[in-house]
Amino acid sequence: MPALTTTTRALARTWTAHQLPAVRACTALSSHSRSISEVSASSSFDSPFKGMGSSEKTTRIPSFAKYRNSSGDESGPRVFQYFMVGTMGALSALGAKATVQDFLVNMSASADVLAQAKVEIDLAAIPEGKNVIIKWRGKPVFIRHRTAEEIKEAEDTKWEALRDPQPDSDRVKKPDWLIMLGVCTHLGCVPIGEAGDFGGWFCPCHGSHYDISGRIRKGPAPLNLEVPEYDFPEEGKVVIG
Amino acid sequence: MAGLSSSLYNLFFRKNTVMLGTVFASAFAIQMAFDSGSEKIWDGINKGRQWKDIKHRYVQAAEEE
Repeated sequence: MPALTTTTRALARTWTAHQLPAVRACTALSSHSRSISEVSASSSFDSPFKGMGSSEKTTRIPSFAKYRNSSGDESGPRVFQYFMVGTMGALSALGAKATVQDFLVNMSASADVLAQAKVEIDLAAIPEGKNVIIKWRGKPVFIRHRTAEEIKEAEDTKWEALRDPQPDSDRVKKPDWLIMLGVCTHLGCVPIGEAGDFGGWFCPCHGSHYDISGRIRKGPAPLNLEVPEYDFPEEGKVVIG
Repeated sequence: MAGLSSSLYNLFFRKNTVMLGTVFASAFAIQMAFDSGSEKIWDGINKGRQWKDIKHRYVQAAEEE
């Protein structure tokens, strides 16, 4: 039995010892055969990795000398690159602005709505010292052609001590014409013209007195009568709105 | 050429804030140029067919009446 054991051991040792070189030889053989198939012209198989096997071609770095800036000055290309970047930024800013603007313009009032929101009044029909009440956007608007005394009274009032201090020059564009919304700032009644303790307007609901400039002087109202936006496009015409 | 380009670089691109301002200012200028240019092209194509081209005939007639 010992003789058999040593024989098997020796066999196993030689087997393992021969195995590795055999594998190596096998791989070497296969790689060799592949390189042959690449080279041989008669083979029907064309390797997509042609030329990869030779070390000389893979390590060679292609020349970029053609693309190199020959003048040696880099500021020109740099300015060009920044110019292109900036131009793209400007164009995309334009696009973003146009997109946002389209949405916002969509929300604003259209021209026919704006046209209906204005009222044009002929001022020549209003004599001095008279009130006219017109309807504008569903609300009454007082237009008063003030006399010289009324203008003087309105301007000379000590407005700093009033409840809603406001000089007369802030409330009128032309001193002759006082234009304001005829809605009491207390609870929204319509005041009565040429009435009250101050020669202006008087609200019958809760007794607010407004002076000749429409400022609150007495009573519960907290604010002066509101002045709408208006304009005098030509002499003798007023456009409210 | 080198002096011009480097001075351009120093003027507009060296500081990021300045470059951003330049970009937005030029966006504004590009928009104005684009708008007026396209308007001009449109007017050139539709010459004599728009209200502002033929307005003088009708407005004068209305004043004479």
